[in-house]
Amino acid sequence: MPENFESFIQQHRGAFEEPGPSPRVWDALERELEGGRKGSVVSMLGKNWFKAAVIAVLLVNAAVLFYFAKHKQQQQQDLAVVIPEMQDAKVYYSNRINEKLELINAYPAEELGLDSAARQELQLRNDTYKTLENELKNNPGNQRIRGAMIRYYQLKLELLDKILEELHEKHAAPTTHTKKQYEAEI
Amino acid sequence: MKASANNLNQTQLDGNVIDRCKRGDVRAFRELYNAYAAAMYNICLRMTGNVSDAEDTLQEAFIQVHRNIGKLEREASVTAWIKRIVVNHCLNNLRKKKVYFEEVEEVEVAEEAGIDEDSFTWTVSAVKSAIHGLPQGYRTVLNLYLFEEYSHREIADMMGITESTVKTQYMRAKEKVRQIVKQQNLIR
Repeated sequence: MPENFESFIQQHRGAFEEPGPSPRVWDALERELEGGRKGSVVSMLGKNWFKAAVIAVLLVNAAVLFYFAKHKQQQQQDLAVVIPEMQDAKVYYSNRINEKLELINAYPAEELGLDSAARQELQLRNDTYKTLENELKNNPGNQRIRGAMIRYYQLKLELLDKILEELHEKHAAPTTHTKKQYEAEI
Repeated sequence: MKASANNLNQTQLDGNVIDRCKRGDVRAFRELYNAYAAAMYNICLRMTGNVSDAEDTLQEAFIQVHRNIGKLEREASVTAWIKRIVVNHCLNNLRKKKVYFEEVEEVEVAEEAGIDEDSFTWTVSAVKSAIHGLPQGYRTVLNLYLFEEYSHREIADMMGITESTVKTQYMRAKEKVRQIVKQQNLIR
Protein backbone atom coordinates (compact mmCIF):
# COMPACT_ATOMS: atom_id res chain seq x y z
CA MET A 1 0.00 0.00 0.00
CA PRO A 2 1.51 3.31 -1.04
CA GLU A 3 2.34 5.73 1.74
CA ASN A 4 2.91 9.44 1.79
CA PHE A 5 5.80 10.99 3.65
CA GLU A 6 4.00 11.97 6.86
CA SER A 7 2.12 8.73 7.28
CA PHE A 8 5.32 6.81 6.65
CA ILE A 9 7.01 8.69 9.49
CA GLN A 10 4.06 8.11 11.84
CA GLN A 11 3.94 4.42 11.09
CA HIS A 12 7.67 3.90 11.50
CA ARG A 13 8.25 6.42 14.24
CA GLY A 14 10.12 4.01 16.51
CA ALA A 15 12.55 3.04 13.77
CA PHE A 16 13.80 6.60 13.63
CA GLU A 17 14.99 6.48 17.23
CA GLU A 18 18.63 5.77 18.01
CA PRO A 19 19.92 4.16 21.21
CA GLY A 20 20.60 6.58 24.05
CA PRO A 21 23.71 8.68 24.63
CA SER A 22 27.05 7.25 25.67
CA PRO A 23 27.84 6.95 29.41
CA ARG A 24 30.23 9.88 29.10
CA VAL A 25 27.25 12.26 29.16
CA TRP A 26 26.13 11.18 32.61
CA ASP A 27 29.74 11.06 33.84
CA ALA A 28 30.31 14.65 32.72
CA LEU A 29 26.95 15.68 34.09
CA GLU A 30 27.66 14.12 37.45
CA ARG A 31 31.01 15.91 37.67
CA GLU A 32 29.29 19.16 36.78
CA LEU A 33 26.61 18.62 39.41
CA GLU A 34 29.19 17.84 42.06
CA GLY A 35 31.18 20.92 41.11
CA GLY A 36 28.01 22.98 41.01
CA ARG A 37 27.08 21.94 44.52
CA LYS A 38 30.47 23.00 45.84
CA GLY A 39 30.21 26.30 44.02
CA SER A 40 26.56 26.94 44.74
CA VAL A 41 27.18 29.52 47.45
CA VAL A 42 29.53 31.44 45.20
CA SER A 43 27.04 31.18 42.39
CA MET A 44 24.26 32.41 44.65
CA LEU A 45 26.40 35.32 45.72
CA GLY A 46 27.10 36.17 42.11
CA LYS A 47 23.46 36.17 41.12
CA ASN A 48 21.98 37.76 44.21
CA TRP A 49 24.87 39.77 45.41
CA PHE A 50 22.82 42.55 46.89
CA LYS A 51 20.53 40.31 48.85
CA ALA A 52 23.62 38.39 49.95
CA ALA A 53 25.24 41.63 51.07
CA VAL A 54 22.26 42.60 53.20
CA ILE A 55 22.10 39.12 54.67
CA ALA A 56 25.80 39.47 55.47
CA VAL A 57 25.07 42.70 57.35
CA LEU A 58 22.31 41.06 59.31
CA LEU A 59 24.55 38.09 60.12
CA VAL A 60 27.37 40.36 61.27
CA ASN A 61 24.94 42.28 63.44
CA ALA A 62 23.52 39.09 64.88
CA ALA A 63 27.03 37.76 65.55
CA VAL A 64 28.03 40.92 67.36
CA LEU A 65 24.92 40.84 69.55
CA PHE A 66 25.51 37.17 70.29
CA TYR A 67 29.07 37.99 71.22
CA PHE A 68 27.83 40.49 73.77
CA ALA A 69 25.25 38.19 75.23
CA LYS A 70 27.94 35.57 75.73
CA HIS A 71 30.60 37.75 77.22
CA LYS A 72 28.58 40.23 79.16
CA GLN A 73 29.11 38.44 82.44
CA GLN A 74 32.87 38.71 81.94
CA GLN A 75 32.79 42.41 81.52
CA GLN A 76 34.25 44.50 84.22
CA GLN A 77 33.14 47.92 85.15
CA ASP A 78 36.04 49.99 83.94
CA LEU A 79 36.72 53.57 84.55
CA ALA A 80 34.05 55.72 83.06
CA VAL A 81 36.37 57.75 80.98
CA VAL A 82 36.38 58.26 77.25
CA ILE A 83 39.30 56.45 75.65
CA PRO A 84 40.94 58.88 73.21
CA GLU A 85 41.87 56.17 70.72
CA MET A 86 38.25 55.09 70.46
CA GLN A 87 37.18 58.65 69.87
CA ASP A 88 39.68 58.93 67.00
CA ALA A 89 38.59 55.61 65.57
CA LYS A 90 34.96 56.66 65.75
CA VAL A 91 35.64 59.89 63.83
CA TYR A 92 37.79 58.15 61.23
CA TYR A 93 35.45 55.23 60.52
CA SER A 94 32.25 57.26 60.75
CA ASN A 95 33.51 59.69 58.14
CA ARG A 96 34.53 56.95 55.76
CA ILE A 97 31.31 55.00 56.24
CA ASN A 98 29.17 58.10 55.75
CA GLU A 99 31.04 59.01 52.56
CA LYS A 100 30.36 55.58 51.10
CA LEU A 101 26.73 55.62 52.21
CA GLU A 102 26.33 58.95 50.48
CA LEU A 103 27.62 57.44 47.25
CA ILE A 104 25.34 54.45 47.55
CA ASN A 105 22.31 56.57 48.38
CA ALA A 106 22.93 58.63 45.25
CA TYR A 107 21.75 55.66 43.20
CA PRO A 108 18.01 55.52 42.53
CA ALA A 109 16.13 53.17 44.83
CA GLU A 110 15.06 50.98 41.91
CA GLU A 111 18.69 50.35 40.95
CA LEU A 112 19.58 49.44 44.51
CA GLY A 113 16.60 47.13 44.78
CA LEU A 114 16.49 47.38 48.58
CA ASP A 115 13.48 47.99 50.76
CA SER A 116 13.53 50.59 53.52
CA ALA A 117 14.38 48.04 56.23
CA ALA A 118 17.42 46.84 54.31
CA ARG A 119 18.56 50.41 53.63
CA GLN A 120 18.19 51.22 57.31
CA GLU A 121 20.32 48.21 58.13
CA LEU A 122 23.09 49.55 55.92
CA GLN A 123 23.19 52.84 57.81
CA LEU A 124 25.98 53.46 60.28
CA ARG A 125 23.75 53.98 63.32
CA ASN A 126 21.68 50.82 63.13
CA ASP A 127 20.54 48.82 66.16
CA THR A 128 23.83 46.94 66.44
CA TYR A 129 25.77 50.17 66.45
CA LYS A 130 23.55 51.68 69.12
CA THR A 131 23.92 48.60 71.30
CA LEU A 132 27.69 48.72 70.96
CA GLU A 133 27.76 52.42 71.64
CA ASN A 134 25.75 52.00 74.84
CA GLU A 135 27.96 49.16 75.97
CA LEU A 136 31.04 51.24 75.29
CA LYS A 137 29.65 54.15 77.27
CA ASN A 138 28.98 51.86 80.21
CA ASN A 139 32.28 50.00 79.90
CA PRO A 140 34.74 52.36 78.23
CA GLY A 141 37.81 50.39 79.17
CA ASN A 142 36.54 46.97 78.14
CA GLN A 143 38.87 45.58 75.47
CA ARG A 144 36.29 43.18 74.08
CA ILE A 145 33.72 45.89 73.45
CA ARG A 146 36.30 48.14 71.89
CA GLY A 147 37.47 45.31 69.65
CA ALA A 148 33.89 44.54 68.66
CA MET A 149 33.23 48.18 67.83
CA ILE A 150 36.31 48.42 65.61
CA ARG A 151 35.39 45.15 63.94
CA TYR A 152 31.89 46.45 63.33
CA TYR A 153 33.31 49.52 61.61
CA GLN A 154 35.66 47.43 59.47
CA LEU A 155 33.01 44.94 58.40
CA LYS A 156 30.62 47.71 57.51
CA LEU A 157 33.29 49.42 55.43
CA GLU A 158 34.17 46.19 53.62
CA LEU A 159 30.51 45.57 52.85
CA LEU A 160 29.92 49.09 51.57
CA ASP A 161 33.03 48.83 49.39
CA LYS A 162 31.73 45.61 47.91
CA ILE A 163 28.33 47.13 47.21
CA LEU A 164 29.90 50.17 45.56
CA GLU A 165 32.09 48.00 43.38
CA GLU A 166 29.11 45.98 42.24
CA LEU A 167 27.03 49.08 41.61
CA HIS A 168 29.84 50.59 39.62
CA GLU A 169 30.11 47.49 37.46
CA LYS A 170 26.42 46.90 36.95
CA HIS A 171 24.97 50.37 36.58
CA ALA A 172 25.90 53.69 35.16
CA ALA A 173 27.13 56.00 37.86
CA PRO A 174 24.33 58.29 39.11
CA THR A 175 26.01 61.62 38.52
CA THR A 176 29.31 62.90 37.26
CA HIS A 177 30.08 64.30 40.65
CA THR A 178 29.48 61.12 42.58
CA LYS A 179 31.23 59.09 39.88
CA LYS A 180 34.34 61.15 40.34
CA GLN A 181 34.03 60.76 44.05
CA TYR A 182 33.69 57.03 43.65
CA GLU A 183 36.66 56.77 41.32
CA ALA A 184 38.71 58.72 43.80
CA GLU A 185 37.61 56.26 46.46
CA ILE A 186 38.80 53.17 44.62
CA MET B 1 16.39 1.58 25.30
CA LYS B 2 14.68 3.49 22.54
CA ALA B 3 12.08 6.00 23.59
CA SER B 4 10.62 8.95 21.76
CA ALA B 5 9.79 12.06 23.76
CA ASN B 6 6.21 11.88 22.63
CA ASN B 7 5.74 8.32 23.79
CA LEU B 8 7.51 8.77 27.09
CA ASN B 9 5.40 7.54 29.87
CA GLN B 10 5.89 9.30 33.13
CA THR B 11 4.99 6.19 35.04
CA GLN B 12 8.57 5.11 34.33
CA LEU B 13 9.42 7.41 37.22
CA ASP B 14 8.51 6.84 40.81
CA GLY B 15 6.07 9.41 42.02
CA ASN B 16 8.53 11.07 44.36
CA VAL B 17 11.52 11.33 42.02
CA ILE B 18 10.77 14.94 41.16
CA ASP B 19 10.35 15.84 44.82
CA ARG B 20 13.67 14.18 45.62
CA CYS B 21 15.32 16.00 42.72
CA LYS B 22 13.98 19.26 44.11
CA ARG B 23 15.66 18.42 47.40
CA GLY B 24 19.00 17.97 45.60
CA ASP B 25 19.09 14.16 45.64
CA VAL B 26 21.62 13.20 42.93
CA ARG B 27 20.41 9.59 42.81
CA ALA B 28 16.91 10.81 42.04
CA PHE B 29 18.32 13.04 39.35
CA ARG B 30 20.05 10.01 37.89
CA GLU B 31 16.68 8.26 37.75
CA LEU B 32 15.19 11.26 36.00
CA TYR B 33 18.10 11.34 33.57
CA ASN B 34 17.79 7.62 32.85
CA ALA B 35 14.09 7.99 32.11
CA TYR B 36 14.55 10.85 29.66
CA ALA B 37 18.10 10.65 28.32
CA ALA B 38 17.39 8.45 25.30
CA ALA B 39 14.39 10.41 24.09
CA MET B 40 16.06 13.76 24.64
CA TYR B 41 19.28 12.57 23.04
CA ASN B 42 17.31 11.68 19.92
CA ILE B 43 15.92 15.20 19.78
CA CYS B 44 19.46 16.57 20.08
CA LEU B 45 20.76 14.18 17.45
CA ARG B 46 18.05 15.11 14.96
CA MET B 47 18.56 18.81 15.62
CA THR B 48 22.34 18.96 15.64
CA GLY B 49 23.03 16.21 13.12
CA ASN B 50 26.02 14.69 14.88
CA VAL B 51 26.71 12.60 17.96
CA SER B 52 29.27 14.88 19.57
CA ASP B 53 27.13 18.03 19.43
CA ALA B 54 24.07 16.03 20.45
CA GLU B 55 25.77 14.71 23.58
CA ASP B 56 27.17 18.11 24.51
CA THR B 57 23.77 19.73 24.06
CA LEU B 58 22.09 17.00 26.08
CA GLN B 59 24.55 17.55 28.92
CA GLU B 60 24.01 21.31 28.92
CA ALA B 61 20.26 20.88 28.85
CA PHE B 62 20.25 18.51 31.81
CA ILE B 63 22.41 20.90 33.80
CA GLN B 64 19.68 23.46 33.25
CA VAL B 65 17.03 20.93 34.21
CA HIS B 66 18.92 20.30 37.44
CA ARG B 67 19.28 24.00 38.20
CA ASN B 68 15.66 24.81 37.54
CA ILE B 69 13.76 21.76 38.70
CA GLY B 70 12.81 23.58 41.89
CA LYS B 71 10.77 25.95 39.74
CA LEU B 72 8.76 23.13 38.14
CA GLU B 73 5.26 23.63 39.48
CA ARG B 74 3.22 20.94 37.80
CA GLU B 75 4.96 17.60 37.86
CA ALA B 76 2.52 16.27 35.27
CA SER B 77 4.19 18.52 32.72
CA VAL B 78 7.74 17.33 33.38
CA THR B 79 8.14 15.70 29.95
CA ALA B 80 7.06 18.79 28.05
CA TRP B 81 9.18 20.95 30.35
CA ILE B 82 12.37 18.94 29.85
CA LYS B 83 11.71 18.64 26.13
CA ARG B 84 11.32 22.40 25.81
CA ILE B 85 14.61 22.98 27.63
CA VAL B 86 16.35 20.50 25.32
CA VAL B 87 14.87 22.02 22.17
CA ASN B 88 15.77 25.54 23.30
CA HIS B 89 19.35 24.44 23.94
CA CYS B 90 19.53 22.91 20.48
CA LEU B 91 18.21 26.10 18.89
CA ASN B 92 20.58 28.28 20.92
CA ASN B 93 23.55 26.15 19.90
CA LEU B 94 22.52 26.39 16.27
CA ARG B 95 22.29 30.17 16.60
CA LYS B 96 25.79 30.20 18.11
CA LYS B 97 26.92 28.43 14.97
CA LYS B 98 25.42 31.29 12.99
CA VAL B 99 22.50 29.32 11.62
CA TYR B 100 20.04 32.06 10.69
CA PHE B 101 16.66 30.44 10.42
CA GLU B 102 15.01 33.24 8.49
CA GLU B 103 17.48 32.89 5.63
CA VAL B 104 16.72 29.30 4.75
CA GLU B 105 13.72 30.49 2.77
CA GLU B 106 16.15 31.66 0.16
CA VAL B 107 17.51 28.18 -0.58
CA GLU B 108 16.10 27.15 -3.89
CA VAL B 109 14.17 23.94 -4.10
CA ALA B 110 13.01 23.18 -7.58
CA GLU B 111 9.47 21.96 -7.17
CA GLU B 112 8.56 18.89 -9.14
CA ALA B 113 4.88 19.16 -9.73
CA GLY B 114 3.10 16.11 -8.45
CA ILE B 115 5.85 13.71 -7.52
CA ASP B 116 4.23 10.34 -7.72
CA GLU B 117 4.86 8.80 -4.35
CA ASP B 118 3.48 5.51 -5.55
CA SER B 119 6.36 5.19 -7.94
CA PHE B 120 9.04 4.84 -5.30
CA THR B 121 9.60 3.15 -1.96
CA TRP B 122 9.99 4.91 1.33
CA THR B 123 12.54 3.35 3.65
CA VAL B 124 13.64 4.53 7.09
CA SER B 125 17.28 4.73 6.08
CA ALA B 126 16.45 6.69 2.91
CA VAL B 127 14.29 9.16 4.82
CA LYS B 128 16.88 9.55 7.58
CA SER B 129 19.56 10.17 5.01
CA ALA B 130 17.38 12.65 3.13
CA ILE B 131 16.52 14.61 6.28
CA HIS B 132 20.15 14.64 7.30
CA GLY B 133 21.01 16.14 3.92
CA LEU B 134 18.58 19.04 4.26
CA PRO B 135 19.85 22.57 4.89
CA GLN B 136 19.94 23.21 8.66
CA GLY B 137 16.93 25.53 8.73
CA TYR B 138 14.70 23.12 6.79
CA ARG B 139 15.82 20.24 8.93
CA THR B 140 15.05 22.15 12.12
CA VAL B 141 11.52 23.03 11.06
CA LEU B 142 10.81 19.56 9.75
CA ASN B 143 12.10 17.86 12.88
CA LEU B 144 10.21 20.12 15.24
CA TYR B 145 6.95 19.65 13.35
CA LEU B 146 7.13 16.04 12.32
CA PHE B 147 9.08 14.37 15.11
CA GLU B 148 8.64 16.64 18.12
CA GLU B 149 5.04 17.44 17.21
CA TYR B 150 5.12 21.14 17.87
CA SER B 151 2.59 23.28 16.03
CA HIS B 152 3.62 25.76 13.35
CA ARG B 153 2.81 28.56 15.81
CA GLU B 154 5.00 27.05 18.56
CA ILE B 155 7.87 26.52 16.12
CA ALA B 156 7.58 30.09 14.89
CA ASP B 157 7.78 31.39 18.47
CA MET B 158 10.76 29.20 19.34
CA MET B 159 12.69 30.07 16.19
CA GLY B 160 11.77 33.72 16.10
CA ILE B 161 10.28 33.58 12.60
CA THR B 162 6.75 33.95 11.31
CA GLU B 163 4.25 31.14 11.24
CA SER B 164 3.88 31.47 7.45
CA THR B 165 7.66 31.12 7.07
CA VAL B 166 7.52 27.94 9.15
CA LYS B 167 4.76 26.54 6.94
CA THR B 168 6.63 27.44 3.77
CA GLN B 169 9.86 25.93 5.04
CA TYR B 170 8.11 22.78 6.14
CA MET B 171 6.49 22.31 2.73
CA ARG B 172 9.79 22.89 0.99
CA ALA B 173 11.62 20.57 3.36
CA LYS B 174 9.09 17.84 2.65
CA GLU B 175 9.43 18.42 -1.07
CA LYS B 176 13.19 18.22 -0.82
CA VAL B 177 13.02 14.94 1.12
CA ARG B 178 10.72 13.48 -1.54
CA GLN B 179 13.15 14.47 -4.26
CA ILE B 180 16.14 12.97 -2.46
CA VAL B 181 14.35 9.72 -1.71
CA LYS B 182 13.16 9.51 -5.29
CA GLN B 183 16.71 9.96 -6.55
CA GLN B 184 17.90 7.26 -4.18
CA ASN B 185 15.20 4.97 -5.58
CA LEU B 186 16.40 5.64 -9.11
CA ILE B 187 20.01 4.90 -8.21
CA ARG B 188 19.17 1.52 -6.71
